[in-house]
Amino acid sequence: MPEPSVPSLLEVRNLTRRFPGVVALDDVNFDVVRGEVHALVGENGAGKSTLINILAGVLQPSEGRILIDGAPVAFSDPLGSQRCGISVIFQEFSLLPHLSVAENVFVTREPRHGPLIDWETMNRNTAEILHTLNLDIEPSTPVSKLSVSQQQLVEIARALSTKARVIIMDEPTAALNEREVVRLLEIVRSLASTGVAVIYVSHRLAEVFSVADRVTVFRDGRHISTSPRNAVTEQQVVAAMVGRKLAHLERPIRRPGELILEARELTVDDGVVRNVSFSLRRGEVLGLAGLMGSGCSELMEGLFGLRKITSGTVTLDGEPLQANHPRAAIRAGIGFVPEDRKTNGLFSDLAVTKNLTIGALPRWLKSVPAFLDPVRERQVTLEYKRQLNIRFSRPEQRVSGLSGGNQQKIILGRALAVNCRVLLLEEPTRGVDVGAKAEIYALIDELVAKGIAILLQTSELPELIRLADRCVVFVAGEARAELSGIEVTQQAVMEVATGLSHRVAIRDQSLEVANGN
Amino acid sequence: METRRAGRTWFRPSPVGVTLLVVGAVFAVLTPTFLSLNNLLNVCTSASVVAIVGLGMTLAIASGNFDLSVGSTAAFAGCITMSVIPEIGVMPAIALGIATGALVGWVNGLIVTELRVPAFIATLGMLTIVRGAALIYTRGRDIYLFGKTDYKILSSGITPALIALAIALFFGFLLKRTRFGRHILATGSNLASARRVGVRTTYVLWSVFAIVGATAALSGLILSAQVLTGNGRLATGLELSAIAVVVLGGTPLTGGQASIPGTLFGSLLVAVINNGLNLLNVSIFYQNVTLGLLLLGALSLTTGWTPKFGRVVRKESVADVANLSGIAQGGDGAKSEGGDGAKSA
Repeated sequence: MPEPSVPSLLEVRNLTRRFPGVVALDDVNFDVVRGEVHALVGENGAGKSTLINILAGVLQPSEGRILIDGAPVAFSDPLGSQRCGISVIFQEFSLLPHLSVAENVFVTREPRHGPLIDWETMNRNTAEILHTLNLDIEPSTPVSKLSVSQQQLVEIARALSTKARVIIMDEPTAALNEREVVRLLEIVRSLASTGVAVIYVSHRLAEVFSVADRVTVFRDGRHISTSPRNAVTEQQVVAAMVGRKLAHLERPIRRPGELILEARELTVDDGVVRNVSFSLRRGEVLGLAGLMGSGCSELMEGLFGLRKITSGTVTLDGEPLQANHPRAAIRAGIGFVPEDRKTNGLFSDLAVTKNLTIGALPRWLKSVPAFLDPVRERQVTLEYKRQLNIRFSRPEQRVSGLSGGNQQKIILGRALAVNCRVLLLEEPTRGVDVGAKAEIYALIDELVAKGIAILLQTSELPELIRLADRCVVFVAGEARAELSGIEVTQQAVMEVATGLSHRVAIRDQSLEVANGN
Repeated sequence: METRRAGRTWFRPSPVGVTLLVVGAVFAVLTPTFLSLNNLLNVCTSASVVAIVGLGMTLAIASGNFDLSVGSTAAFAGCITMSVIPEIGVMPAIALGIATGALVGWVNGLIVTELRVPAFIATLGMLTIVRGAALIYTRGRDIYLFGKTDYKILSSGITPALIALAIALFFGFLLKRTRFGRHILATGSNLASARRVGVRTTYVLWSVFAIVGATAALSGLILSAQVLTGNGRLATGLELSAIAVVVLGGTPLTGGQASIPGTLFGSLLVAVINNGLNLLNVSIFYQNVTLGLLLLGALSLTTGWTPKFGRVVRKESVADVANLSGIAQGGDGAKSEGGDGAKSA
């Protein structure tokens, strides 16, 4: 724990950044000391990204100062920021996929023999850094062969190789599964123990509370509070973020109706998922839990006609379901909200209206088949805007400009527009801020209360527990356990999902990380 | 750029339209013959040949693809039609030529969707294959038509311009007001998303490629009617002019968007410039350079069109969860017609 008297390594004073028509940062003070993990939280539009971009040298402040070791600094580009010892790991990785790990770590700073790259030194130095991160990969491996979490660590390795004294991480766990998150947090802690100052930006409060020394909340471009982790509760932080209390923190009591979806001995894609059976009733949420690659997503894709069901049967309302294309699944009454909304959900450069109505065009058609009715489409869009509380200025606006939460609501709305009976939700709140998350939970509760059956896959355990009435835990393509009601706890799910042996392994690794530094 | 309103898009002043007026005015001042009826008709006819295939190309580009084989297809279709006119008559021969084009296009679509070859490679391969097929079919010789002047109607007077206009209206309607058109845009915007919302992307792409092939054939027929000759070397380089006029018209190569009037204006602009420079006795070599510069200018304009400053920063008031109103449940089940789902995309 840093002493209050320790001087700040990095400090911003009275920082303001204006954009035409908007003050993105309004007279903000923020600091981080050596060896500290300082979490920065806030909703989309709170000003976090603006601050990060200013510290990264991407944007310049309109007013205010940046101090390093008490001395004012100014930089006009990312290189200047790097020279001051600041390294930013953005949410979207900036790795070059076809180059090796070592090349990525030392890109633009390659050690050289005259004009030639000194591969030996580069690989050796990289190996050393990877070792401190407890990452067991060859420096010559191409980055494209690595998992997302390994790529994240390569980003961190790059930051370390620049001898960064301040490392800023923007949503570092957005693409990681539970186990990888645990490991990353260990590494963040161990980085701090070597004297590096870490600014940790995240939506996920559970992580923030497990890793941070201090928590700072921004809202609407203003600094709201900074407090030591032990002095605040999660509820207080959320309240500070959204500016009021959030309702619906508990799972409501549900009254499931009759059986609607039943799967027996389902095998998908010749064994990605093997012999899985489950049933789902109206007005019920069944969670599918498991680590990445455990088969939950594949099972959903199988049900939706995106993968082949090689054996077993699915019945929907007593009728056999055979979907070999999403179109067939949609017609049978299945809606799907995919995990990766950018690649599999949105039409980024199309208008809000087109995104909303694309799945259900037949419903808004004129009396002559196949012709669209723009007036009706517009009405429908505004209807959904009101009902789902989607925020956009015009129905003709492109969805790429909307926040993650609003994009997600559009995809949800699209699934609802086809009047589905069963809704498959994959990571329904990924990359969505706290306020929108609460709204989406409330929305899901409402849908369930109306009798829609939901199959939910999420890697966020608190989300699973908040939403799911029952939960099937997957390990390596097989259903290992079914938990229901009060049995659904984070610990129970993790124990099954990872196997106890894994838990021991994680603990051992974290010890090594701690000792290694 | 983003202030598109339903129904008004057709009459939005476009950069290419303004350029067309300016360039036209300049030529009208510089050369007395430019505005003569005969000359304008010439301009319209040469613009129409490129516009017809360009309109097909607009759909292909909107669907996230493009077709490099249109020049070869035009030549092939022209040869087929010319060779069968004596036996089956003009109208059936025209139909057969267009069907040939559609067939070639459908094969392009098959290669793209089933063999998963990128459109660039697939249609590049077809470019040489179909060109070769045309030359094999004609044995490298010209097919002359003597006395069949009723075929000449296809290229005479304002017929080509009327055909181009009719196709433009049809495609414009298709894109704006039909489900099929919306599915084309969705496929071009994001293929994976389109599949997931139930668009049969395979069929969409087959249809689009077939349409491009048909428009290419139609352009080829008009070209061959102009000279009353079937020639396997006809319409060389048509693919580049076709893509050029689409790009000039403001349709982005990234897919998901299309400007039908833009393509018409683009074709007119190219035709006007070529014609004007001809009248000014500028060498054909300089005309090529001019067109290239024009294209680069248009591209840099369309890609750099969005202002670089003023990045949008959202400031949203926090939602009121308690006020979240009821969820849509009304309406009957989603009904849709048509066959069953396609296997893959």
